[in-house]
Amino acid sequence: MTSMATPLEAGDFAGRPTPRFRFLRELVHKKIAMIAIFFLAIFYLAGIFAPWVSTDDPNYQRLTIEDRLAAPSGDHWFGTDGAGRDLFSRVVYSARTTLLFTLVVILTGSLFLGLGLGLLAGYRGGWIDAGIMRVGEVLSGVPTLLLMLAISAAFRTRLNDVAFWLQENTFLGDDARAIVPFLIIVGAALPFAWIGSARIVRSQVFAIREQEYVLAAETIGVSTARLLLRHVFPGVLPIFLVGVSAGMAGIAGSEIALSYLGLGVDPSTPSFGTLLQNAGGVRTFQEFPHMLLVSGVPLILFFFSWNLLGDALVDIVEPRTYRR
Amino acid sequence: MSQGLAGYVIRRLLWTVPVIFLISVFVFLLLRLAPQDPIDSLLGQRYDDEIADRLRAKYGYDRPLHIQYLKYVQNLFQGDLGVSTRHGDFSVAEVVIPKIRVSAGMNIMAMILIFGIGVPIGVYAALVRGSFLDPLVIGFWLLVDAVPVFITAVVAPWFFALQLGWVDLTYEGVIHPNIILPVFVMALPGVAGVARLMRASVIQVSSEDYVRTARAKGLRERTVVTSHVVRNALLPMVTVVGLSLPGLFTGTLFVELLFGIPGIGREALLAVLGFDFDVVLGLVLFGSILFVLANILIDIAYGFIDPRIRITAARSV
Amino acid sequence: MSNRTLGLMMGAVALLIVAVAVVFVLVLSGGDDGDEESPRAAAPTEAPDREDADTGDARDSSDTRDDGRAVSGICGENRLITFGDDPATVFDPIQVGDASTAEYTAEIFGGLVTLDLDLNVVPDIAERWEITDGGRVYTFFLRDDVVFHNGRRVTADDVKYSLERAADPANFSPTVLDYLGDIVGVRDKFNGSADEISGVQVIDEYTLRIELDEPISYFIQQLTYTIAYVVDREQIEQDPDGWTRNPNGTGPFRVKVFRPLEEIVLIPNDRYHLGPPKLDEVVFSLSGGSLSTRFQNDEIHIAIVPAVELAGVLSGESELSEHYRPAPQLSIFYIGFNVNQPPFDDPLVRQAFAHAINREAINEVLFFDAAIVADGLVPPNLPGYSESVSTYPYDPERAAELLAQSRYADEMPRIILTFSGGGGDPPDNLQAYQQQWREALGVEVEIEAIEWSAYLRELRRGELQMYSAGWIADYPDPENFVGKLFSSESRLNHGGYANDRVDALLAEAATLQDQEARYRLYQEAEQIIIDDAPVIPTFWTVRHYLVRECVQNFVDPGTIVPKYRYIEIDTSGE
Repeated sequence: MTSMATPLEAGDFAGRPTPRFRFLRELVHKKIAMIAIFFLAIFYLAGIFAPWVSTDDPNYQRLTIEDRLAAPSGDHWFGTDGAGRDLFSRVVYSARTTLLFTLVVILTGSLFLGLGLGLLAGYRGGWIDAGIMRVGEVLSGVPTLLLMLAISAAFRTRLNDVAFWLQENTFLGDDARAIVPFLIIVGAALPFAWIGSARIVRSQVFAIREQEYVLAAETIGVSTARLLLRHVFPGVLPIFLVGVSAGMAGIAGSEIALSYLGLGVDPSTPSFGTLLQNAGGVRTFQEFPHMLLVSGVPLILFFFSWNLLGDALVDIVEPRTYRR
Repeated sequence: MSQGLAGYVIRRLLWTVPVIFLISVFVFLLLRLAPQDPIDSLLGQRYDDEIADRLRAKYGYDRPLHIQYLKYVQNLFQGDLGVSTRHGDFSVAEVVIPKIRVSAGMNIMAMILIFGIGVPIGVYAALVRGSFLDPLVIGFWLLVDAVPVFITAVVAPWFFALQLGWVDLTYEGVIHPNIILPVFVMALPGVAGVARLMRASVIQVSSEDYVRTARAKGLRERTVVTSHVVRNALLPMVTVVGLSLPGLFTGTLFVELLFGIPGIGREALLAVLGFDFDVVLGLVLFGSILFVLANILIDIAYGFIDPRIRITAARSV
Repeated sequence: MSNRTLGLMMGAVALLIVAVAVVFVLVLSGGDDGDEESPRAAAPTEAPDREDADTGDARDSSDTRDDGRAVSGICGENRLITFGDDPATVFDPIQVGDASTAEYTAEIFGGLVTLDLDLNVVPDIAERWEITDGGRVYTFFLRDDVVFHNGRRVTADDVKYSLERAADPANFSPTVLDYLGDIVGVRDKFNGSADEISGVQVIDEYTLRIELDEPISYFIQQLTYTIAYVVDREQIEQDPDGWTRNPNGTGPFRVKVFRPLEEIVLIPNDRYHLGPPKLDEVVFSLSGGSLSTRFQNDEIHIAIVPAVELAGVLSGESELSEHYRPAPQLSIFYIGFNVNQPPFDDPLVRQAFAHAINREAINEVLFFDAAIVADGLVPPNLPGYSESVSTYPYDPERAAELLAQSRYADEMPRIILTFSGGGGDPPDNLQAYQQQWREALGVEVEIEAIEWSAYLRELRRGELQMYSAGWIADYPDPENFVGKLFSSESRLNHGGYANDRVDALLAEAATLQDQEARYRLYQEAEQIIIDDAPVIPTFWTVRHYLVRECVQNFVDPGTIVPKYRYIEIDTSGE
């Protein structure tokens, strides 16, 4: 239920530009938030340093019966899968896929598109604002997964050709082949990634524009860009972070869902989606529970941490709910 | 309905026309410009250029894109959503409506469950705030929310069907005990959101003047909570109910896949994979229009409740 | 404020509820005028049904069924619950191109001849047939007791109508030229230059003569395919768009319920001329889900286990392993090469690749020894199979040697192995080959997944350098493997393989009447092909079934044959 994040809207945060340092200070004081951040740090560090953290090539198969579906042991901390691959390494590399995907989508979608469009809509107002908001409204209304599926199914073949071209004609070389399928799902996620943050930013801009000092700045002719940078942006930031943290689980989840359906990353790139698909039968779970547990538990903790963090951030930005 | 509100609604409705148009063009082009089409998947290994050409002519895929689009829109206005190439020319309505019915039925049950669990938990968490119970309760449901459906949908059948033997898994229709497990699996992740919102709402309402007045008058705490706080705190739930309306008809893909339920999510997935043009387009349009209408309904509802909101909302249009 | 607010809030909620209700009612009522379904999917209404005395009770309501199950489980009634795939086309025999539709069509319709469970061609509507003029003319003598489901008698005119309908250009059948193209006049009719098929003549009410352009020794096998099934002209002319919903065929079963992606229910044709079915009803569940779990929970008689779940069924301690029944299929998986693209234009490279993969180990570990390592192209249960054909064994040293002798020993172009992804089934075996080629040859092969129809399109255009593919027999004859895939003229020969000797052998075999001699020619061609290695045969496929003990006479012979009429459920208790 992604719609749950939206009630944080309209005038709720009006007129209370929160200084950044107070925001961070309060965050540090929340124990639960710190625990969540701690776990997320582990998760992301493991992802970043996957080649050093992992104990094995995540795709290396050991085709012997002893190595197949082995339970966790000293050799294989998370056990092995049906093809004798080391699950610990696969989980670590899956974290890397998740990290990359969310990072790219957040940077391009939420930050670039969302912040940009939100500022534009809020500052310009009028039909630009209405147009952006209505498009966003409808985009958030179309069956997201359906459209993502359509995009990734439609462009896969075409983009393979692009990948070959990139590989042969640019410095990317072999990496192009890994990057392109990845770009497809990023592209599939983008149309939906900006909406939430644009909405938040826009309502904040509205609120701030009503402030006297902004009005004053406007009348004495401070340039738009400077105005945005100096006054609007800092005020927007905390709420923007709340929006991102609320949307994070959804963005990571969309890659996992696509990969689960076989429409995500290439088979040679481990992803939680393919891991869970592999482990996913009820029968398989009954006989080899480690398959589901070792990939499922880190993922659940990942989502849980983001949920907790989001919750804590809401409390900081919206302290009324804690006042008596 | 006041004139301002009517005008506002009309303006919103007028806005939806170009936006829906853009979405339909976008999806239309997305599907048609893809390198493959329904005929490819229809003929599969039997593909033969001549037969494929004939079939393309039959469905009109050989004509220029803008003609195809106009034809589609023309049919649309006559209530004809086209045919499903994947289901041997069953009409889109024929294929889609029974599935939407199934998904809608399940979603309504799930919604009832979500609110049935979420609202009391939210109220409880608000009442015990400050104690360790508040974060514990909310935290628990946040954890539940964090479990992806494709994990629950594996563990739940294993536990309730195979270990305990309480339920059967075969889909026997929406009105049947076998539906309970999938509905629960669907509902669980939603509880946290409702509970969290309800909690915030109760806390906010508690600080309103009239609640303080009621307390000051010496009304019993229980009366204050039930007749003043909870009732008013339910107000923001209108938004949640409203925003969930379109979701009722879009289905939940993974529950359907893993429990073998003939709902609209699975149909949509297979339609996309089989490039079933008309079905995909029909579903996207259906979902978009429902969503826009639901949003307008929410605004109208709020307009009735609180004229201040109308003004702020109207400013944005 | 609170009273007014409350009132308004209630009003708003009421408005929303009314809105939901209106939309819901619209959706529900919209569906009811077109079809004969009730909104409650739990109790499907039945298509017009003449003798539902015994079946109606069985599925009257879900309540009685639950009670029945509580007493005796699913084996308590003579009603088979099995799984099925969603048919890709309507139940029109001439449109069928996929195995799932063919499965149902074969039960609903019948043709002149059919296949028995041992894949022999046996009489169906035709009682017997004579082959004259050196194999060019077939004369069929029809049974006089064959009726359509509605009781109308089948005559030679119906057969002629059905064949001409198949070739009618307005019907664009995708399969007619593949299966019936050898009949005199079919191509003319299909091109629109003739109104009739001149090679199909009605001699009298129960005699039909079919002439071929030239003697084709597997023609009678081709007639068992759905394209040659007999359809009811009266029904089609009455209801040209809707007849396929409840087709009036001549087969052992007729359709009771068909709901796409939900279920198909077949009920017996009690007047079936080859012996009516023993079951009261066959229910095909199309909605997916975990079949093995439902099987384990005693909710379904026959389930199929997908490859990813095989581990959970075949591992030693699983209680399901005793119900496991493998059924070898008439199909094969292989790695194909485009023999015109480097580096696979050098046979030595192809042979090196074939030597480098260890299919036995892959089978043992990844498939729990449940697949069959392909030792040729023609699967063992197909007539014409010979043990004398053999493939390149796993031999990494030899592989490296061959590669070193090849033109590409010094510089290997980049190699991409394409498979059709999107099914969600992870291609562990492809990654295993990749690893083995890397280890034995030092060659890095990249794996690319593309969507199924795009894959087929690239394959047709010969653009794929190396691909993972499969082939399922259309009819049980080695020609279907050796000829269709490797004749230089076949449009299914996607790798561009051309060998004059093979073409000559195929041409000679096609017209030979002596079956044993024919099979020997195909075997010779098969061995030449395998030695040239335009493909590496990897595995003959096996379907993994779970079958309840009470289901009797369930046989999957590996291809589509009418098989449900033999099945019986032992209701006496297990």
